[in-house]
Amino acid sequence: MDILYLIIPLSVILVLAILGGLWWAIYTGQFEDVKDEGERILQDD
Amino acid sequence: MQQPNLLQTQILVEPTAQQDAHAWVALDDVAEWSSFSQVNQNQQDEWESRLAIEGMHCAACAFKVEKALKAIPGVASAEVNATSGRARVVWSAAITKPSEWLSAVQLAGYRALPAADAFAQDARRKNQRLMLWRWLVAGFCMMQVMMYAYPSYVANTGEMTPDMLNLLRWASWLLTLPVLIFSSGPFFSNALNDIKQRQISMELPVAIGILITFLVSTAATFDPKGWWGSEVYFDSMTMFVFFLLTGRWLELRMRDRTAGALDALMHRLPASVELLKKDGSFERVGVRRLQIGDVVRVLPGESFPADGEIILGETSVDEALLTGESHAVSKKTGAMVIAGSHNLTSAVQMRINKLGQDTRYAQIVALMERVSVEKPRLALLADRIARPFLIAVLFAAAASAAFWWQADHSRALMSAVAVLIVTCPCALSLATPAAMLTASGALARSGVLVRKMQALEALTTIDTVVFDKTGTLTQASMAVGKIETALDMSAQRALQLAGAVAKYSLHPVSRALVLANNQVETDSDVHIISVQEVAGAGLIAQSSIGELRLGSAKFCGLDNKQAQHENNDVSKVFMSSEAGWLASFTLHEAIKSDAATAVSALKNSGLQVEVLSGDKSTSVAKIAALVGIAEVRGNCTPQDKLNHLKLLQQQGRKVAMIGDGLNDGPVLASAYVSIAIGQAVPLAQAQSDFVVMGGQLFLVPQLLLQAKHTMRVVKQNLLWAAIYNAVCVPLAVAGMLPAWLAGLGMALSSLLVILNAARLSKMPMPTLKQFA
Repeated sequence: MDILYLIIPLSVILVLAILGGLWWAIYTGQFEDVKDEGERILQDD
Repeated sequence: MQQPNLLQTQILVEPTAQQDAHAWVALDDVAEWSSFSQVNQNQQDEWESRLAIEGMHCAACAFKVEKALKAIPGVASAEVNATSGRARVVWSAAITKPSEWLSAVQLAGYRALPAADAFAQDARRKNQRLMLWRWLVAGFCMMQVMMYAYPSYVANTGEMTPDMLNLLRWASWLLTLPVLIFSSGPFFSNALNDIKQRQISMELPVAIGILITFLVSTAATFDPKGWWGSEVYFDSMTMFVFFLLTGRWLELRMRDRTAGALDALMHRLPASVELLKKDGSFERVGVRRLQIGDVVRVLPGESFPADGEIILGETSVDEALLTGESHAVSKKTGAMVIAGSHNLTSAVQMRINKLGQDTRYAQIVALMERVSVEKPRLALLADRIARPFLIAVLFAAAASAAFWWQADHSRALMSAVAVLIVTCPCALSLATPAAMLTASGALARSGVLVRKMQALEALTTIDTVVFDKTGTLTQASMAVGKIETALDMSAQRALQLAGAVAKYSLHPVSRALVLANNQVETDSDVHIISVQEVAGAGLIAQSSIGELRLGSAKFCGLDNKQAQHENNDVSKVFMSSEAGWLASFTLHEAIKSDAATAVSALKNSGLQVEVLSGDKSTSVAKIAALVGIAEVRGNCTPQDKLNHLKLLQQQGRKVAMIGDGLNDGPVLASAYVSIAIGQAVPLAQAQSDFVVMGGQLFLVPQLLLQAKHTMRVVKQNLLWAAIYNAVCVPLAVAGMLPAWLAGLGMALSSLLVILNAARLSKMPMPTLKQFA
């Protein structure tokens, strides 16, 4: 069961990393325009 | 949908004070004021402004903002509505400037934005994202903390090594930090503001609850031997923060959706429009730059920026939000279009006749905004209860902790936390405004404006409905039939004279004459100097050919000779000069197609229905018989109508008066509940509690039904809030409610209130069966 001493701290880091990733995604505007981005390839500009 | 959305409240974000102060100084420029304010007609330096307030959660917050605004010298009055997040401020330009009272709101801990301002939308979206993000962090950390807590729930004593137990606790503590610092941030900042202001709102107990839980658990984590015991509650804490934020978020979405009807109506004007330039080309300009007389091109899918006339092209137009008329209306060249209606099929050019505040649309919006900050009686009662209630909660929590202290310190603290978290004055103060706002939104969508929220309550208690006849039971427009004239006058000439005089009046008969005159399209050479309207009798005009009278036979000073010619089935209007009789006009009026259905629906719901009219008794009786009303009173002067109304009220009857809002203002004003019907109602001056904009009578029984549903929902909500608190607080005091369950309960209790109110977002369709 010693592995738990590694896994539990790792899981904390993982959660924080995921939250960091989400933060980045939200605040760099990844969800800003979900619909139009998908349709952009169909538009000729 | 990226519609600007002012009818919502958000969690408070730290306002960037410097930036805002800068933006507000810009608002001190008089030229900017018209974008969010309007000047008082009677007092030139008094302005009325609309604000969107962010960071409010319940009635106590609204009260705080109100107090902060009123404390500024020069602010005459301030009304804040917590449900819609809007405020109305009346201030004197001579004493204060917008920046002064805007910063007062900020000092109170909220953020005020001038309503209808473009940057409000950005601020809202940023806020919304932050709120979602707080919720996500809480949810994520909660799940992980639950994982760490799980082993200690299932393990038997001694199965887990103390090292492992400690490791799990430290991990939980670490992941609870973001929940405490970031997700619960608004609870703390709002509670702190409360303390600074020596106020109390529901944020305070919640913040204290979170803090106690965290401190006890932290102490237990790092020093399990202390008096606080060795239990940790990180899982409870993250969970109830998550539940509270979920509740808030859903509440916001629901409120947003149900208030959406009002909102959609308020933001129908386009931001820009294609203006025809002198060289014949079009340029896109902001609507605020338009002037009367400008020609603009409105494309299909756009809405009309102003009231005006179509000068090129034809199209069909959706005027549903403004008149309740659900079918597209076809508009040819020469037809009038109204601001805020949608152009559906093809591009047209229009010339602008009325702009901005003069349009009917602007009147409607101003009216709705005024209503949305009004507080109904029951809401005021709830507000008054909220404060002593919160103080009682703090005492109950302390008492609960004191009671359990001897038995178990840690349990004592947690039962206090449960009391703090579980109580919810929010459900109480949301109960009434949520329901009424939703109901009036639904009514607005079908073309009924609510001018006084309170009237929805009054409408459920009425027992008598009194109709006016002309323009109410009958079509607003009459047609001129036969024209009889004195010997030396042609029918056309008579119509010209009558039309010229009648132009100054809004009475249906006058409008019929004007309409008839416009159809023959001749201009009168008679110059009208002044026109005086004698209510219920007729018009006296001073003109270049002397005094002209237009009205009933008696009013025109005619003996019975001409009057005897009258056919009983039709109404007649007479015209006379100083020399005597000039002409009589026969008028036909048509009963509204839905009059009989509406009347029978009202009768089936147990109401007594009467007709009061200034018209001749015989023609009133005939029409009353056709729609099925037995109680008829004709030949009434406005004073007679008033007297009859007073008589009914003395008999203890509660009377709803339904009129066209033009000639019966005082009668409408003195009735218990009043409903004005018809497109011509001048909204700004209308005395009535409700305005049926399209003139459809079947909306009256629907309105009644909606009012009944609304009051039922209000009562359910209040009952639910009372029962919830009455059951949960004792349970929590007794220590039988874990903190996480308390959080869930509180989130659900206010959510249920909002959900229940959401049922009102559809107008009830009354069938005769429902009424029977």
